[in-house]
Amino acid sequence: MSTMTFGQKSFTPTPPDKGSFPLDHEGHCKKEMLRYMLCMRANRNDNSSCRLQTKAYLSCRMDNNLMAKEDWSKLGLGDLDIKPSEPTNNSN
Amino acid sequence: MSKVKDRLITIKFNADRGASMQWKFRPQQTEVKVAPGETALAFYTAENPTDNPVTGISTYNVIPFEAGQYFNKIQCFCFEEQLLNPHEQVDMPVFFYIDPEFAEDPKMELVNSIVLSYTFFEAREGLKLPVPSFVRK
Repeated sequence: MSTMTFGQKSFTPTPPDKGSFPLDHEGHCKKEMLRYMLCMRANRNDNSSCRLQTKAYLSCRMDNNLMAKEDWSKLGLGDLDIKPSEPTNNSN
Repeated sequence: MSKVKDRLITIKFNADRGASMQWKFRPQQTEVKVAPGETALAFYTAENPTDNPVTGISTYNVIPFEAGQYFNKIQCFCFEEQLLNPHEQVDMPVFFYIDPEFAEDPKMELVNSIVLSYTFFEAREGLKLPVPSFVRK
């Protein structure tokens, strides 16, 4: 079965608030994603414990043109400071 | 937007594929605990195991359905075509929050767990993507 869908267009339904994230084909932000996942596993999936890692991941996306730059306060992350070299948190 | 401190909601993740969609697609986490008003990140991973490029398009649903109106996606990978090259694997994030008004809705009083379910379909001519009514225009 051939799956030659390359180039065929179908309709475009309505996107979310800031649109669709472009795909990170090159894996530029893979490290930040893994740091976030490690933090979540170490903190029983509690989102509020891993907001620095969330900010680091989104910051990586912005630096690599994978996300439009936005004020952190508009993304609910305005109260956090990312330090330049972020050690991994809470490795119990 | 302020966080509602005394409500913690467990978001669980589901991943589905349409019948002819050959991608592998799964969530990276079983659940995320989040308060209404707090922004959160979650990941899915998709892989095209075939020897041909495959374009997918996804939609989502929220269970219970009535909670869907409070689920706000700031950014995600849904509703737009995504191309994966042969044997390519990619991480797909969802950045979202539960509207603080969730905590004011008496119908949501006993809702402490929400399932977020994404389904990827193969993008092709004539595909009508099912979109729940709570998805904002």
